[in-house]
Amino acid sequence: MKIAVMSCIHGNYEALETVLRDIEQQKAEKIFCLGDLVGYGPFPSNVVEMIRSLDIPTVQGCWDEDIVEGLNSCECSYPSVLAEQRGKFVHEWTNQHIYDETREYLAELPKTLLDGNLAFVHGSPQSQHEYLLPELNGFIALERVLSTGADILFCGHTHIPYVRSLDQGQLQVRVMTGVETLNAESRSFNTDLKRIVNVGSVGEPRHGRPNATYVIYDTDSDQITMREVEYDYQKTCAAIIERGLPAIFAWRLAKGMEYAERADDASHLCERGV
Amino acid sequence: MPLNQISPQIIAITGAPGIGKTSLIRRSIQENPSEKILYFSPGAGTVPIDSTQIQIEFPDVQILTEGQELELIEYVEQGAIAYIELGFHLDLSSGENLLQALSEYRTERIAIVPKGLEDSEWYRWATEVRTAECNFDLDQIQMWRSPCTGQMFDPNSLNVIWYELTQGAYGEVCRCKGIFDLPDGRTFYVDYVSGDPDSLYLPLKLPRWLDGRPTRFSGIEVMGRNLDGKAIAQSITDSCLSDEVISQYQQQIKQSLLVSA
Repeated sequence: MKIAVMSCIHGNYEALETVLRDIEQQKAEKIFCLGDLVGYGPFPSNVVEMIRSLDIPTVQGCWDEDIVEGLNSCECSYPSVLAEQRGKFVHEWTNQHIYDETREYLAELPKTLLDGNLAFVHGSPQSQHEYLLPELNGFIALERVLSTGADILFCGHTHIPYVRSLDQGQLQVRVMTGVETLNAESRSFNTDLKRIVNVGSVGEPRHGRPNATYVIYDTDSDQITMREVEYDYQKTCAAIIERGLPAIFAWRLAKGMEYAERADDASHLCERGV
Repeated sequence: MPLNQISPQIIAITGAPGIGKTSLIRRSIQENPSEKILYFSPGAGTVPIDSTQIQIEFPDVQILTEGQELELIEYVEQGAIAYIELGFHLDLSSGENLLQALSEYRTERIAIVPKGLEDSEWYRWATEVRTAECNFDLDQIQMWRSPCTGQMFDPNSLNVIWYELTQGAYGEVCRCKGIFDLPDGRTFYVDYVSGDPDSLYLPLKLPRWLDGRPTRFSGIEVMGRNLDGKAIAQSITDSCLSDEVISQYQQQIKQSLLVSA
């Protein structure tokens, strides 16, 4: 069976519609969504309505959480003062442009979904705000997958798609057995191949092109296919300006640069939600 | 590049943006030392980027601003050498009254002109024309500029703005330059000319500013077409640090300087 996994739509309705058409053409039987339905883009409520109407299993993203809980960021949310100011402006804009029932829907989204040996999260199993960057320390990366009990962890949040195989699935832990003797007991765990699949972003790509990205996973052949789909991004750019969002967002979207740059320190572990 | 063998006393320079007017003056000051040197750039207004840079590099050069023309004439009468830089945004006739008043002194009028623009008014104005590469069209160029004195920039944000500016997010930028204060107390001169592969980032030889908001000049000047000045101003405002953050940074830097001393 083919399943489609998408993430980070960010109010970009035009991109979502195109990706849904592509998923249909790819004959995927099931769709999972990894959150960030709202934030930055011009049509947050329409995106949520579409996801709801299709009954797509969805986890809560960091923007979805912030719009419910309010901003309470860790430093990795804002790599610059400019990104923070822009983020706060658009948080307020989104707050004013979504319906109450949209907010209620976002509030009820789960943080993790499990389906057989597959787990679905927005950032990491630890927090919607934590970035699982491809360069993340292998020990931590493996721990994040093992914490879900799944073999493949699908995530988004970084907006750059990647597949990471953790094929040296061994965790070694030194456990202190007695404070007075300072003896440590080594315990090791062997695991089968684990993978982290980052599905990129539908509505706010960061790979230098405006195209949407998502992933098709074939459960029979165990094949992961990255899809990059062109859509009429100019429509979204025009809507950004028409609906009173900063014009710089339109320029950045057209360049495939994200609306605000994100943290790139793979050694930083997000403090939010821990 | 040396000036004429019989050194002129008045050197007026004009030309396209980013083509090397100030660089020529800096080289000339270095190669032709004199007891009294003046630098005058009319039209710099509240954003005197070039004169600030010259003052830092050559502390003995006297910078004169608009309204000090009579002083300039007096100094020239006493034997001073005067560099007069006429920015691209100025009408060429704007410096004419001053140059007429100084006509009894040896004067060189240098225009640095893009190759292929032989039929320009620069040729009629200049006593010497030098040609140089210019990778952009000079039609319809407008200028946007703003002082930033008192502001300290978040370095990551400054990088983002500079990237956005030079890649066309706020209009087609041919040239932008600025002097910016950073929270570690250093001041940078940043310069971009369209067609050059990289921007220049130059730390200025100034003492670190570690006590509150700087009172020394900083500012930005952008030249190009269809510039969205309001959006540039918004991004600049959004990139500057608050009093609280500036104070935190300055305390940290002071401590680290004490430790390393």
